[in-house]
Amino acid sequence: MLQKLRFMLLALISSALLAALPLWAAAAPDAPASTLPITTHSKKARQLFDSGLVKMENLHSIEGIQDLRKAAQLDPDFALANILISFESVDQAVDPEEKVAARERAKAARGKVSHGEQLVIDWVANSSEGKIIPAIQAMNSVLEEYPKDKMLAWLGGIWIENQQQITRAIPIFERAIKLDPNFAAPLNELGYCYARVRNFDGAFAVMQRYIALLPNESNPQDSYAEILRMAGRFDDALVHYHESLKIDGNFWVSQLGIADTYALMGDEERARAEYATAIQHAGSRMEAANWSLQSAMTYVREQNYEAADSAFRAVAEKAHKEALAVPEAEAFRMMSTYQANNASAVALLEKAENALDHNNHPLPNMNRQEELALILRTRAERAAHDRNTSLAATTLKRLQGLMDATNDQVIQLQYEGAAGAVLVAEGKYEQALAHLQEDNRNPLSMKLMVVSYSKMGAREVAEELSKTLANWNEPTLEQALVVPEFRAKGAETASTFKRM
Amino acid sequence: MKVFQRCTVLLLFAGMLWLPCEAKNIAVVVSKSNNTGSITSADLAKMLESTSRKWPDGSNVTVVLPGGATSQDAELVVARVFKLNQAQARKFLADHKSVFVTGSSDEDVLNKVGSLPGSVGLVDVYSINNAVRVLKVDGKLPLEQGYLLR
Repeated sequence: MLQKLRFMLLALISSALLAALPLWAAAAPDAPASTLPITTHSKKARQLFDSGLVKMENLHSIEGIQDLRKAAQLDPDFALANILISFESVDQAVDPEEKVAARERAKAARGKVSHGEQLVIDWVANSSEGKIIPAIQAMNSVLEEYPKDKMLAWLGGIWIENQQQITRAIPIFERAIKLDPNFAAPLNELGYCYARVRNFDGAFAVMQRYIALLPNESNPQDSYAEILRMAGRFDDALVHYHESLKIDGNFWVSQLGIADTYALMGDEERARAEYATAIQHAGSRMEAANWSLQSAMTYVREQNYEAADSAFRAVAEKAHKEALAVPEAEAFRMMSTYQANNASAVALLEKAENALDHNNHPLPNMNRQEELALILRTRAERAAHDRNTSLAATTLKRLQGLMDATNDQVIQLQYEGAAGAVLVAEGKYEQALAHLQEDNRNPLSMKLMVVSYSKMGAREVAEELSKTLANWNEPTLEQALVVPEFRAKGAETASTFKRM
Repeated sequence: MKVFQRCTVLLLFAGMLWLPCEAKNIAVVVSKSNNTGSITSADLAKMLESTSRKWPDGSNVTVVLPGGATSQDAELVVARVFKLNQAQARKFLADHKSVFVTGSSDEDVLNKVGSLPGSVGLVDVYSINNAVRVLKVDGKLPLEQGYLLR
């Protein structure tokens, strides 16, 4: 999945930007316009800005970012170029320090650009600084000021989607498409949004339009395949992943998609062969390590835990040699989740935590903290499962400390999931639900929600959630651990589940 | 392929490809001309249950609640402030109908807050714009850990 990060937000907003930008190269601040004015004193910078966006639209995001960089170099006051480089969801080719520097340049130029551009700067800069309230205010204000600007609608939809406000993102993407029915990029996002609210018919229709608009691109086929897979239409998904590879044989995310699909279908041997092909072509060592973890999970799906141990150990050893702390820690953490022996599980989680502290493994603090939160969550869940209340309490306390010290949604989710698990083990189902509902896309928490609802007598809710879980088709370890049980039980509730 | 956010790989490890969605935070908003910056939950409770409500400067308070498709947001607020369940919150709102002005949508609530002097509105935080000021409730803004109206 990491490969899928290659073409990020900026790549997909590019077509909207291009279509929305006025053709003139320089604008006086506050000039009236139906679309957002773009201010730069350099025609060459504007050309680079435009060409960069074209490249990103064509999924050449690294080259596109380079053009934006050149544009910003030619005109350091080119606020929009800078603020787009700084966007928090932008391509990984931009490192965090560069993003911060670009954001500061955009802020420094704020007084020299139009009111609309100022609002965009306020929106994106506040967002990247974690000041979400003023970011929302600026975003809504600029969207209101330029209701016919499809670029802004598109950008707003992306941002709102990344804030996990899916039902709110949907009408914004629809607005962008209404403004230009041939605007392909928001179709992709809209399809995923529909799928996330489980409106698969809507998602399929949107994806078919996306494919029709870009028949020579791999991504529409890849996206359609992923959504078909989410809906459980595995054979159709495979057809479209292969279509994607036919269009571009180097679109290796589709190869990963094929492997993930076979894994979800239960053909684990075939999945491993497909993963091996994908891993050979991984774009980085980190990507290869992550995909190797996916491959190791196939043994968990087969309940061949001895082979799973070997595969995860191999990933851990390779990651250790390559100084990749997170995949090393993940390999040990994942191993711990299916261990029958409690002491083995605890020891593996210890190893996972130690992997984060190797001096020779450079790791940004945020990544370290998030991975540590995952480890602590797994430890708390294990302790709750084993009725080790002391370990559960101390682990939860550590996790809460980590959460309080950061403003990180991933860490918060791990706390909510862990707290929910501990409360379920204590029989405090109503309190548990308040936490688990915050983590309602993780099959582990979803399962505990089924347990809680069942215990509280809310059988209909439990059954509905059980059905959702039985049809959960995301290629994660938690899916592998939880979903088969629900598929086997059909729509029964979890009152008789072995764990918890 | 999908546009992902920065933490996608860790989300994959965390058992999900996307973060959970639709966590609701209700913002308490006033017009920009209102200098109030924060409010306590006790003050908010008084505003919600009584018609004789005043700002510190003595001016009258008008509470604008979301109605129509967003009426569940009003129920959430009442449930959180008075620690009621959903049915009790619905009854409270019905019993105090005359106390509030109701907006048909978040946009309508924001417009009313802008046009009615002394008004305080309750809207989904993702609806707010630069025309309003967001109040802290018990020292916390929406989206902060421990915020009451979520």
